[in-house]
Amino acid sequence: MKFTLNWLKEYIDLDMPVDALADKLTMLGLEVDSVDELYRELDAVKVAKIVNVKPHPDADRLTLCDVTVGEDTFQVVCGAPNARPGLLTPIALPGTVLPGGMKVKKASIRGQESSGMLGSEKDLGISEDHAGIMELPDTATPGQSLPEALTLLDTLIEVDLTPNRPDCTSVIGIAREVAGFTNQKMDLPVKNDLPLLTGEEVPFSVEVLDPEDCPRYAARLLKNATIGPSPWWLRKRLLSVGLRPINNVVDITNLVMLEYGQPLHAFDFHRLGGGKIVVRRARANEDIVTLDGEKRQLDDKVLLICDAEKPVAVAGVMGGENSEVSDSTRDILLESACFNPLSIRRTARQLNLGTEASYRFERGVDPEVAPIAMERAVQLLVELTGAEVVPNGYDCVAGIKPPETITLRVSRTNDLLGLQLDATEVARCLESIELTVSRADADTLLVTPPSFRIDLEREVDLIEEVARLQGYDEIPITMPIVPMSFPEQQPGLELRKKLAAMLVSQGFFEAINYSFVDETYFDRLQLKSDDPVRTAVTLLNPLSEDQKIMRTMMLPSLLQNIARNTSRQNNDVKLFEIGKVFHPVADAPLPSENVRLAGVISGSRHPGASLLHFGNTQVDIYDCKGMVEAILQEVRLTKAVSVEFKNESTTAPGYIQPDSYVIYRAGETLLGYIGQIDTEVLKSFGVKQDVFFFDLDLDLITKREPTPKSFKQLPKFPAVNRDIALIVPEAVASGELLTAVLHADEALVESADIFDVYRGDAIGSGLKSVALSLTYRSVEQTLDDKTVNKVHQRLIKMLEDRFQGRLRDAG
Amino acid sequence: MEQELRQLQTEAETKLATLENQKDLEEVRVRYLGRKGLFTGLLRRLGQVSAEERPRLGKLANEIKEELEQKFNAKKSELVGSDTGATGGRDDLSLPGRIAPFGRLHPVTQIMDEVCSIFVDLGFAVAEGPDVELDFYNFEALNIPQHHPARDMHDTFYINDSILLRTHTSPMQIRAMEMEKPPLRIIAPGKVYRCDSDITHTPMFHQVEGFLVDRKVSFADLKGVLTVFCQKMFDEKDIRLRFRPSFFPFTEPSAEVDIGCVICRGEGCRVCKQTGWLEILGAGMIDPEVFKMVDYDPEEFSGFAFGLGMERIAMLKYGIDDIRLFYENDLRFLNQF
Repeated sequence: MKFTLNWLKEYIDLDMPVDALADKLTMLGLEVDSVDELYRELDAVKVAKIVNVKPHPDADRLTLCDVTVGEDTFQVVCGAPNARPGLLTPIALPGTVLPGGMKVKKASIRGQESSGMLGSEKDLGISEDHAGIMELPDTATPGQSLPEALTLLDTLIEVDLTPNRPDCTSVIGIAREVAGFTNQKMDLPVKNDLPLLTGEEVPFSVEVLDPEDCPRYAARLLKNATIGPSPWWLRKRLLSVGLRPINNVVDITNLVMLEYGQPLHAFDFHRLGGGKIVVRRARANEDIVTLDGEKRQLDDKVLLICDAEKPVAVAGVMGGENSEVSDSTRDILLESACFNPLSIRRTARQLNLGTEASYRFERGVDPEVAPIAMERAVQLLVELTGAEVVPNGYDCVAGIKPPETITLRVSRTNDLLGLQLDATEVARCLESIELTVSRADADTLLVTPPSFRIDLEREVDLIEEVARLQGYDEIPITMPIVPMSFPEQQPGLELRKKLAAMLVSQGFFEAINYSFVDETYFDRLQLKSDDPVRTAVTLLNPLSEDQKIMRTMMLPSLLQNIARNTSRQNNDVKLFEIGKVFHPVADAPLPSENVRLAGVISGSRHPGASLLHFGNTQVDIYDCKGMVEAILQEVRLTKAVSVEFKNESTTAPGYIQPDSYVIYRAGETLLGYIGQIDTEVLKSFGVKQDVFFFDLDLDLITKREPTPKSFKQLPKFPAVNRDIALIVPEAVASGELLTAVLHADEALVESADIFDVYRGDAIGSGLKSVALSLTYRSVEQTLDDKTVNKVHQRLIKMLEDRFQGRLRDAG
Repeated sequence: MEQELRQLQTEAETKLATLENQKDLEEVRVRYLGRKGLFTGLLRRLGQVSAEERPRLGKLANEIKEELEQKFNAKKSELVGSDTGATGGRDDLSLPGRIAPFGRLHPVTQIMDEVCSIFVDLGFAVAEGPDVELDFYNFEALNIPQHHPARDMHDTFYINDSILLRTHTSPMQIRAMEMEKPPLRIIAPGKVYRCDSDITHTPMFHQVEGFLVDRKVSFADLKGVLTVFCQKMFDEKDIRLRFRPSFFPFTEPSAEVDIGCVICRGEGCRVCKQTGWLEILGAGMIDPEVFKMVDYDPEEFSGFAFGLGMERIAMLKYGIDDIRLFYENDLRFLNQF
């Protein structure tokens, strides 16, 4: 809601600084969004008087004007058709910067000197009018600054209105709040008694068929109006709040709407069939062409204003083209009505048509203001268009409900606010904003809100008013007293934090990506057409095509993050994200939301680490594998998880290089997987370097029981280390040797590790040498060579047999 | 003899004082105290002195030798670590230390953890809800019926007529109250969505919702809890707080909460639009209509609720001027926090 300080001062005396006013309004819940000095930038523009006009010798459309801003007369080249001797008009002298940023210079135009520029309203940023240079009133004097001559200087205030305060969608509404806290009475434009409108002996009729949706409909007829531009004061008022002047009739209805908050509509009376107004719901398949030239298809919930034959306006939203006031209009039927907010809101949504009128009606207009606003508009129309008003008129009030009385308990007020007010204080508060209060008993007040406060319906609404008017600052600061309890925290939160901390300590940065992604990812990831991952929740109204579906996997956004970073010369990227993926669930309204932990790594193994100590080794798949192993260890699931790799039954998805795919299962359930991203896929994401990733199901990990912690006696006897280097065929998975040793059921084997894998001429092609380091220990005694050798040989034999291996450097 | 001993001692000590590195120290040590050093040479001549002088001189010689050795050792430990690259070797401690640098949590996560932990310390439970939500929980049950103008305050992403991306974390009020009876103290962090994108809006952002329901909970209690929160969050005991009337359909009375601008300390700056105040929270007393939705008796119970945006707080705390930076995941951004 925009208004200016001068406008506000029409209704109240105001001697507080604008900052203090803005602050007070804000603290009353009318949040002031901005305060701007209007037209300050036009200070340098002066009033000039044209003394003489002669044609430009070399240009048909231009004239040479001799102008004065006081004493000297000088020449200005002008292209406006209305330049004539005696005209007072604004001039921007050389050096003046105009609102558009243009600096006026002394110039030669087609060989003729021009010492300044005469301006149209558009040139000066006042309006869009560019038909000619401005014509200033006789009261202006040459040399005077333009804002002064036109009394333009004013302060524009914009209030960010909350939907519960429709009464403040008018300047008078704002003034009423100010009057409340400054303890004064408003001086309102309509001072006379309102004429009684009985509908008798008028040359038209009004019939309201749906009083539920149209509680009030008032109409009056004005004859012999002359349509034309509005006087400057009216145009200035509209322009000051950013409204475009149109003609005197439209401008008057707009002014009264801004003033009283009552939208009005003017019909060309002779275009209303049968001289009749009918307010009714639309019929099936009815349509109307609205003022904006659009044809609107209607349904039976839309409320219409019709004449005897056809719809002439969409009630409370926009008039129809067929009854619009034009330059040739003589007689005007003026409507001032009140419509049901729900009905208007529904219509405005459905037609996707929001107007100043619908904005007010859908929030709720005071049903009592219609005849007042009507009277104000009639007076202005008579004054400014020369129209004569036909006595009497219609005022259908069948749908108006009497205001209800609300019971307010003082004790309840105090309990909810934490205050200790007495009944008198509460009553005084409410009375300051025109509520009627009477006392039922010591604790109970009966309160009747005024008609313009349609938002006050319940006791709690009144309690809020008390809080607001007392000032939230006056409410004390206390701590709640609640019974002690142990809150159950969201499962999985602690785990998330723990794993995030672990990843961070390993050099990972946390990423957060949008939950919605581009549908084309699926193709770019080379997913099969029947891959279930392609089934996604789709947004009806995405902001853009690349935010159309809810993500079903974490990888695409992370790949995009890598592309972004590498394109900015950051080639060493370790990112992880903990977030949800969404999968539609058959027969359930909501999709499943699965929390996952995913990571991508690319470039140097130790980004940001000193090359001196760490060198520049690049990450590989083992970095991912190690990270996942560490995570599984941390959550104590290592024993429950099986690892699958290069398994013929597991085919890698299209975006993973097949020989790099490792999956982790707990029983039958898939806990997660790792892999190296396919080069083609990387290309489609704009990534030019190797990328490895892991993806774990955090919900499943949260649900699994971790292996309990239990203590084992510390070893009392020393360990013995033995190595084995076994040459096996290339096809043997090295890790299986390790597994075989550890599962060989040899009590003395404490641990085992692979410390080297060698390929080369020394052992021949198609073969590799895998070096294992074994640690033996007994809990009962110090092992002697003989005992260890026996077991060691058994294991060697077992490995040789099982993996077609032979000892390297046997002996 | 005695004189020679003392002279040798003075000479060695003088040399010692001027030494600057371990290599020279070792040379000097060998020269004086080594097996073929000057001191040993002198001692060898002890046999030549008279028998009655011998024990005294022998004792003196030993004392001097011990004393010198101690001084050498002291000097040696003093010199360790002082060697610079000029002398080469692995003891050049001006070289960088050996650590692979840590990464960082996303700034939004850091702020969210901070906010949650303050409320957890106050006895609140953390609970999360779905991002894809029913219109019922997001609007209807929060007293925002189908044609309510308050829906204009939310630019909603829809999946279909009755399913949407939650526009705030407030649906958790309903979900939690449906499950439990008061007393209730819950904090609900999470992602929320609105179709809006510019320098101060991203279509996804993070909110934390909090609410407390019990008997006789008052607006004064709301002020108390939020005051404590702001003091902790902004690490300022005397932080200025301003509660202004506002409107939310699911609270009444409703308030917006401003803190004294943390950038200009209330002087007026670009960030606070010269007002000296920064809006950081929406709050209010839970509306009786909301209680009716979850079968709580509004005559028996009262409570407050509040919600705050994480990005906004991160932007204020760290001076970030473009909200879109949060979702680009540019390492140059992430490693600043």
